[in-house]
Amino acid sequence: MQIYRRRNGWSIAADALTVLISVIWLLPLIASVFMSLRPASRPLSQDTLLWALTAADERGIFLPWFTLENYERALLIAPWGSHYLSSIIFVVGTLVVQWFTVTFAGYAFARMRFVGRDLLLYLILLQLMIPAGVLLVQNFATIRQLGLYDTHIAMMIPYWASAFGTLLMRQAFREVPIELEEAARIDGANLFQILWRVYIPLSIPSLLAFSIVSVSSHWNELLWPLIITRSPEVRPLTVGLNQLFTTSDTGAAYGLLMAGTLMVISPLIVLFVLFQKQFINSFASSGLK
Amino acid sequence: MIRFVRWLGVSALLAGSLAFSTAQETITIDFYYPTAVDAPINAIIQEYADQFMAQNPGIRINPVYTGTYTQTRDTINTEIAGGGKGPDVAVMLTTDLYSFIEEGVIIPLDDYIATLDNPDAFVADFFPALWLNSLDEDGTIWSIPFQRSTPIMFYNADLFAEKGLEVPTNLDELRAVAAALTEPDGSRWGLMIPVQGTFPIWMFQSFAIAHGQNLVSDDPAEVFLNTPEALEAVTALTELGTVDGVMPAGGTAWGDTPSAFVAGQAAMIYHTTGSLTTILNNAPFTVGTAFLPSGPAGADGTGFGAPTGGGNLYIFDTPDNPRSEAQLEAAWKWVQFLASPEVQSDWGTRTGYIAARISAWDIDPLKSRAEEFPQYTVARDQLATAGKEFSSYRAIDIQNIINSTLSQIISGAVPLSEAEAVLANAQAQIDNLLADYR
Amino acid sequence: MATKAAALPQLVDNTSILTRLFRALLPYLLIAPTLLGVFTFTLLPAVRTVHDSLYQPPRMARGEPTFVGLENYASLFNPQHHLGARFGQILGNTLAFSLATVGVSVPIGLGMALLLNRRIRAMGFWRFAVFYPSLLPLIGAASIWAFLYADTVGLINTTLRALGLPTNNWLGNPNTVLASIITVDIWKQSGYHMLFFLAGLQAIPQDLYEAAELDGASYWQQLTALTLPLLRRTLLFVLVVALTFSFQTVEQLGALGMGKPADRGNLLLYFIFQNIGERRNWGYINAMSVILAGMLLVFTVTNFFLLERGREDER
Repeated sequence: MQIYRRRNGWSIAADALTVLISVIWLLPLIASVFMSLRPASRPLSQDTLLWALTAADERGIFLPWFTLENYERALLIAPWGSHYLSSIIFVVGTLVVQWFTVTFAGYAFARMRFVGRDLLLYLILLQLMIPAGVLLVQNFATIRQLGLYDTHIAMMIPYWASAFGTLLMRQAFREVPIELEEAARIDGANLFQILWRVYIPLSIPSLLAFSIVSVSSHWNELLWPLIITRSPEVRPLTVGLNQLFTTSDTGAAYGLLMAGTLMVISPLIVLFVLFQKQFINSFASSGLK
Repeated sequence: MIRFVRWLGVSALLAGSLAFSTAQETITIDFYYPTAVDAPINAIIQEYADQFMAQNPGIRINPVYTGTYTQTRDTINTEIAGGGKGPDVAVMLTTDLYSFIEEGVIIPLDDYIATLDNPDAFVADFFPALWLNSLDEDGTIWSIPFQRSTPIMFYNADLFAEKGLEVPTNLDELRAVAAALTEPDGSRWGLMIPVQGTFPIWMFQSFAIAHGQNLVSDDPAEVFLNTPEALEAVTALTELGTVDGVMPAGGTAWGDTPSAFVAGQAAMIYHTTGSLTTILNNAPFTVGTAFLPSGPAGADGTGFGAPTGGGNLYIFDTPDNPRSEAQLEAAWKWVQFLASPEVQSDWGTRTGYIAARISAWDIDPLKSRAEEFPQYTVARDQLATAGKEFSSYRAIDIQNIINSTLSQIISGAVPLSEAEAVLANAQAQIDNLLADYR
Repeated sequence: MATKAAALPQLVDNTSILTRLFRALLPYLLIAPTLLGVFTFTLLPAVRTVHDSLYQPPRMARGEPTFVGLENYASLFNPQHHLGARFGQILGNTLAFSLATVGVSVPIGLGMALLLNRRIRAMGFWRFAVFYPSLLPLIGAASIWAFLYADTVGLINTTLRALGLPTNNWLGNPNTVLASIITVDIWKQSGYHMLFFLAGLQAIPQDLYEAAELDGASYWQQLTALTLPLLRRTLLFVLVVALTFSFQTVEQLGALGMGKPADRGNLLLYFIFQNIGERRNWGYINAMSVILAGMLLVFTVTNFFLLERGREDER
């Protein structure tokens, strides 16, 4: 869909609005980059604004103000490498298992008839409506009994079953023409082949949408990993960021905080910039409904 | 006599455990610590752990960073409630003492102290004010001071010299001096007190003590919030912003206050001594430190008195997962090590916390640091007049009540004219909680 | 559908009892992992939560809990109670927060999608500009905003002061703290919603617009008559995600005022965490959890109802 065929007043206004919104949305990022380069001995004040990376000294000579010291210090505060790895394990390990569970359950609820189907679906859907946060203490006890405390598995296991994904895949699978499945059956395909060759290729957008929701929510997660883990090798990035923030008790070291935050997010940002075309296009043009 | 018998028992067990530990059995001590200062804490703690392990081959220290004090406490409580064993040793707030005692998850340390060569000298080498919150009402020692602090006043000495001003010693002088240092265009405040947000209770407590009534006494079932002194204190604190106009109305945020001070936007601030190292490192001007100004309390009207604060070392032993004597003994060794004059001297220098041992101040690196920067000694000397930090049964809930109430008044969400009613309601909530203990 | 499949001749033929049994059990096997997970980590603890909300924990750790009926719920509305005194305010904040973040970020996300679904130069850059906040961990995003909002040393206030304008203590002023926190969520979530709307827009067949244009329909007419109705299911999907998210994410408060001042910036789930440290509050904590889950239930059930009805309409 492209609404504007001709350049007219509306289209210019829309371009201007696009630029305006983008600039507003980018400001926090730009501000944090500048702040991260600023020495701790130069906090903001109205005389020394953020954008000024140079200033006159007492002899009137302009000297640069930027420094990498914040990054050097932020590096020391937490074991970022292992936090990073752990975050990736957490997010990927959750997602890969979810792919299987939501596909199987989605198919069963979409295309199979069995006793108690609706009741079981509603039971599963309850998961969407009960915030995981309020079950923290109870779930901790369960993890403990399973002997999984302080492991990557402990972080992932409560999310392996996903009501949201099940629902999404059920809807996607219901859109797949039943004739395709029948044709595959006639060719002698078993259930897994049918899922792999018929259902999944036709439901990629939903699977992708679910994957994005899953990855972004677990990438953000702090409270559950903080409680269920304690070794630096197991803890994810958010715990490191949290440590960075709590360090500011003795003076909000915003430069340090921004440096650490940027360090954590920059690989993702680079990845996104590199692949954003593929990412958004494949997601968008495949047409999630 | 009972104590002596217990002592004998413990010594016998200790002797046994020592023999046991030489038999190549490695004991692991999980050590939880919350970070609260801007220093590479993980590296420092690991350094101490390595030193300790080199001296004690049978013991392995496993240091675990556990977030803020609150997160650490929640982690410990969740673990123990979920059937876990929790840490072996943890640095936790002194204000958590009664919660841990009531839950039965920490052990008293008197028996361990009694096994030392000279128990009395050990106890006497800590500043007495730091023991106030380490004992229960019967005098049993439950925790050992480790990263302790107290609020002090920091001032921009260059500015004082330039304007020819004297450092204020009481609240009236404070108002006058702060007024002289406040710039009307908002570029500089005379004073900043971090009572917005996290825990206004700590700064408020210093005002309450200076007005003649601490929030707590020796009785852990008693809290004094609805008193004329508390009302005066909270009024004085609020009016510094709204009436005197020498501090931002509603106070400032905890972490922003030292930053604003370093940036020259505040001439004086109240803050923890734990910030001293950071402030000295960053401020482009001469930093002065002083006692908190006195209030109207006392016969001569010089009611000094800041509370103490910070974290103590606790040894955990939970009913569901009882530790062996050898395990507890190893934990005690680690506690002793962290509280030793050598470690305290180093820790105080690198973080800014008050080194808790008197003798720590006579050895390097703290000795030379204090000679070079006499600012470090102010907090230590102020301990002589320090009051007891908040401590009671149901301390978590009661501090929440007090913080929330103070926040309502100081932020202006509730006008000062209704402050008395709000304090009375809060006191009623507190008394409801404490009714079980009276 | 299953009947259809069963009607196929060669599937009926060579069917041993074992295969039949397997086929009967297959649906249960397929949903078993999901069911087991939901049962272990949601249903069982949820039932325990409801159960425990009717009990008062023992005073001492090893004692027995006392059955108190609905007393824990009643206490939450008692102004003399240490949690009840604050609960009403926080409940109101939570509703306001959810409605405001969803009510603003979803339309903004839709607007962004409409703007960025046009031919425009440097498309990738603009899409990045509004989407990148979604890549940030919430605590990281909150840290950045903590710096923008800080009273004396923050970016917004130093800029305002440099321009000679009055400043505001964004997180310290009881009247602005909730709006400040809502702003962060809107900033973080809008680009995320945009992504789903973009996908929905791309799925609308191009020839519909061409036809509409031939009929002389203006942009607004195309938008209201064509685009929005066809985006309805995307919209409902986004609403479900956004609402669930808004009730469940509170980590940002750790960096953004911690619920202060005067609880004007507090949210229910964060309040629950603030009080979880005291075991004897767990009766009330469980009661609050039930109330929070109840609110979420009402919102999501309404949404699912609409979502399902949306499906039927299209058939």
